[in-house]
Parts: sequence; structure tokens; C-alpha cells
Amino acid sequence: MATKVAIIAANGGMFDAYKVFNIATAAAASDAEVGIFFTFEGLNLIHKQAHHQLPMPAGAEHFEEGFKKANVPSIPELVSMAQELGVKIIACQMTMDVMNLNEEDFIDGIEVGGAATFIDYAKDANISLSF
Amino acid sequence: MNADKVLDAKGLACPMPIVRTKKAIEELQTGQILEVQSTDKGSKNDLTGWANSTGHQLLENREENGIYTFWIKKK
Repeated sequence: MATKVAIIAANGGMFDAYKVFNIATAAAASDAEVGIFFTFEGLNLIHKQAHHQLPMPAGAEHFEEGFKKANVPSIPELVSMAQELGVKIIACQMTMDVMNLNEEDFIDGIEVGGAATFIDYAKDANISLSF
Repeated sequence: MNADKVLDAKGLACPMPIVRTKKAIEELQTGQILEVQSTDKGSKNDLTGWANSTGHQLLENREENGIYTFWIKKK
């Protein structure tokens, strides 16, 4: 059976970004269909400027060195890799309205939709994840 | 084992070995063999899982001096 993965990204820190994009790119590289719904703070992860400078969790700043040492790709690299692998990116319209953001504030190649858009995508997913 | 293509994924962290492997296998024909070299300690389980998910056949894997080598036959 083909694998379909539906992910909700609702948090906006550096660790959140790695959780979301590592799973998404690994799934897409394993021939799964992958869609991510970015909502509330999760929108940071695809915001043109914000996704270049996501905050580390308080007290975890010292892991910055560990990321470098482990040669972990940067978040912008992971985002473009995800897009290259065909990961569908959906930005939450309602959150964008609340935060006064437009499609131009985000990376290219995204879709904008509401909760029903995600539900329609996720209804036949066999893996659903929320970060 | 003779490989049709060799992918050097040494020094790369998760999920890059898998992403590069996917890209490399796309360049091969059915039945051809890809050799992947990695230093990521997770790659032994990851490449096995990846082969399982995608249907490509993991023929053999070996670890020597911290380098993991995999031979994968394209489905």
C-alpha cells in the first residue's frame, strides 16, 4: 500500500523545525506522499525570514555546537529538500489572517488553506503526526 | 560486489543519507546496483527501513572502521 503522511506543524522553534522536516524528507525520500499543515507558531517554519533564524529552546542554546558537529543540514536546506521531493506545504489561512500575513511573506511554492483543506488531504493518510 | 554507481554519503547526518540514496537510485536502471557509503550510525537501520519501504533490495551491508557500506539493487 502506498504510504501517505499527514503532518501538523504547530510550533515555531528550531527543534520543532527539525522534527517536522526530518520526518517529512525521510518519508518523501521513502516514496511516501507527504503534506504538512503549518498553523499558529508553526508558520515560522516557512516564513521567508523567520525560518532562517528560528530560536533554540530556552536552556538548550549549547546544543548549537552539537548541530554543527553532527553536520546536520540547516533548516532552509531541509525546506528546499522537502520541496524538491514533492512535499506539499499548506499554510493556515486563519492564522495568517490573525497575524496579518500574506502569501508573499512565505517561501515560494506553498498552498494556503483552512482546516478543511488539511482534513480533506489527511482523510486517507495512513500516518498522521502532530508537532 | 560490483556496483553500477557509488554514493559517498560519509559525514552526512540523518535524513541526508536517505535523501541522497533516493536521488542516486533514480539515476539507475532496474536491476542495477547502487553502493552507499555512510558514517551515520543510524544508517544501518535507516537504509534497511528505506529499502523495505521503497521495495529496492538491500543485497548486503558491511561495517568497517566506522564506515557502513550498503549494496542496493534497484527494483
